[in-house]
Amino acid sequence: MSKQYLSRGSADNAHLVDIFSLAITDKQILSTSGASSIKVHSTTDADFPLVQSIDGAHTIGCHHIVTNGNGSRAITAGFDGEIKVWSCQDGHWAADTKLTADLTGADAWAIALSEDGQYLAGVTQEGRINVWDLAADGTRIRDHETKGNFGTCIDLSPDGRLIASGHDDGAVYIFTTETGRMPFSLLGLVNPVRAVAFSPKSKILAAAGDSKVIVLYDTSSGEQIANLSGHSAWILSLSWSDTGEYLLSSSFDGKVKVWSMETKTCVATHSETDKAVWNAKWLPKVGKTEGFATAGANRSIAFYREATG
Amino acid sequence: MAMAEPPTINALEIDDGRDSSVQDFTDNTLAALIHGLSQTPAEANISITLKRRASPMACMINPITGALEASPGVEMHRKYSWPGKTAHEAWKFSELAMFKNQSGRYTEHIDTITRDIYYIDPEFFRVQYIVDHIVDDLAYTIGVNRTALNVEAAAKGLVTGDFRLIRGSHILIDAQSITEDSLIPRIKDGDEIDISRVRWVLVIEKEAVFHRLARTSYHTRALAGEGIMITGKGYPDFMTRTFLRAMSDSVSNQSRHPPRFYALADGDPHGMAIMSTYKYGSAAHLHQNARLSIPRLQWLGLRVTDIIAVPEVLGDTALLSLTMRDRKKIVAMLRNSPVWASDGPEPEWRAELQRMLVLNLKAEIEILYGCQGGLEGWINRRMFRQE
Repeated sequence: MSKQYLSRGSADNAHLVDIFSLAITDKQILSTSGASSIKVHSTTDADFPLVQSIDGAHTIGCHHIVTNGNGSRAITAGFDGEIKVWSCQDGHWAADTKLTADLTGADAWAIALSEDGQYLAGVTQEGRINVWDLAADGTRIRDHETKGNFGTCIDLSPDGRLIASGHDDGAVYIFTTETGRMPFSLLGLVNPVRAVAFSPKSKILAAAGDSKVIVLYDTSSGEQIANLSGHSAWILSLSWSDTGEYLLSSSFDGKVKVWSMETKTCVATHSETDKAVWNAKWLPKVGKTEGFATAGANRSIAFYREATG
Repeated sequence: MAMAEPPTINALEIDDGRDSSVQDFTDNTLAALIHGLSQTPAEANISITLKRRASPMACMINPITGALEASPGVEMHRKYSWPGKTAHEAWKFSELAMFKNQSGRYTEHIDTITRDIYYIDPEFFRVQYIVDHIVDDLAYTIGVNRTALNVEAAAKGLVTGDFRLIRGSHILIDAQSITEDSLIPRIKDGDEIDISRVRWVLVIEKEAVFHRLARTSYHTRALAGEGIMITGKGYPDFMTRTFLRAMSDSVSNQSRHPPRFYALADGDPHGMAIMSTYKYGSAAHLHQNARLSIPRLQWLGLRVTDIIAVPEVLGDTALLSLTMRDRKKIVAMLRNSPVWASDGPEPEWRAELQRMLVLNLKAEIEILYGCQGGLEGWINRRMFRQE
């Protein structure tokens, strides 16, 4: 059964260059790009107005932004190698000055933040995985070695028990946060992995990249559950819907796909652009309808909502 | 001429090789040194002061010349004293004095090659680029260009295609009759180059790629018509840039349908930096860039995204991962060069460097050998698209 998602508008030319990363809170969408500012758009107003621009956040651009569960904290990783912490009060974002955690010198390319916002996980360009405790002065509490290949992506499971990372050589690693051990080794992909994402109940890990397939792993056994194929270009991002029923993927040729977990099939494909969609993310549900946002090389953020009845 | 010439360079003086400013500077400096030696050590002030070329950090794109130039108001001097406070300073001073001993040659009609200077005392100069540095600082101090010192590096670049080099009233070189590629000719001020018979000029980063295209005479067979191909074999030398600029200037005078200037470089930080050197100039020679930049140069390729778009033709093996050095170089380029600045002249170049970082990929031109129609076919299609 296919589903229909309709375009609900867009923030055109939200950035001057490629938008690399999106983060969603209950009322806002934060975006970062090759330009120096972080843009904040409202998702509660029908025309998605720009509500804030944090100018000069990262002088030479920012490739990753992540938020915690309640949307009070955001962390950004810039091309300059800097990691910055931002806090939100009454819908307004500012550099977090109260936080005592010192992240200068913290080395990470891709980052992930725990639901409660206390733990920041990062994977370095050399493939090293670190975890910092932001409640304890930003102390590094974990330091895992992998085979030394560029770490393209990382995720923390919503239950806080697992960390997964994807690498340039196709490897996917999984660690338990408690012991810092690998419970099992995962059969990775052949080509670079560009996205890893845990399902909302932490039972499934999805991984995808240049192999153009999405691999689903059972996080209790490490076994592959399914391969979702259908993309004809590199897959750049993955996002789970709130309920875990649907998985969203975006690719280099501008296509965005929605996959049903029940049938393990693609139920919707969108292609508004022929340029890379660097990131696609589900939006908070409005009533019973799901929606998502996409952004990438066309410099705009596009919004979609499920067609109802 | 479209571009304003910087005031410090007087074309006529340089042309006759008897620029009095060079002679004056040499005479005055030597006189001061001899005077210093005749004084007691306590009161003697034996030193040579050179203007330092601006550091790459303090530069900008001049909107008038379109070149990478020193930001106004940053002029630095360096004084080399003898015997000096440290061994290093003493060495630096001797190095300069040594160099000046050759001063007689500057004013004669002998073209000295920097390599020759180096070989006067290789142990002393240690590495060739030290000679290059001194030559540049000296030229900058006197306010002339390198040719005025009659010091040049040996020719490095290659060119093939139909051009005519005109000196005075006669044609010095008519490349139409030359079938093979040749070293780039030395351009003197006042020379003119006629390229009115071609439709395009392709600046190629790598020598191997140049040879591949030259071997099959691509410049006579391109879909876009006749063209000229040129390579500086990596980072271009002054002669290659001078020659290209002379071609570009000749186009400014040409009326309708001027030939287009394209750059073909690797999709990696070095390729991008080399393309930037052709178009905007080099950070190490800011004072030279206004008369050497090629603002009309267009980016033909190679973009990493070009390659990803056609993976079925090329296979996934065609792409290379960035090394840590590549990544560091890209970050340094984004951070330090006004060419890649967020408010700079090349947002597409900036975006490309960032995409390389995100994808951790680079692409070499050789990849195109395997695509449909080969490298030639790719260039044909790309030139057509940019028309």
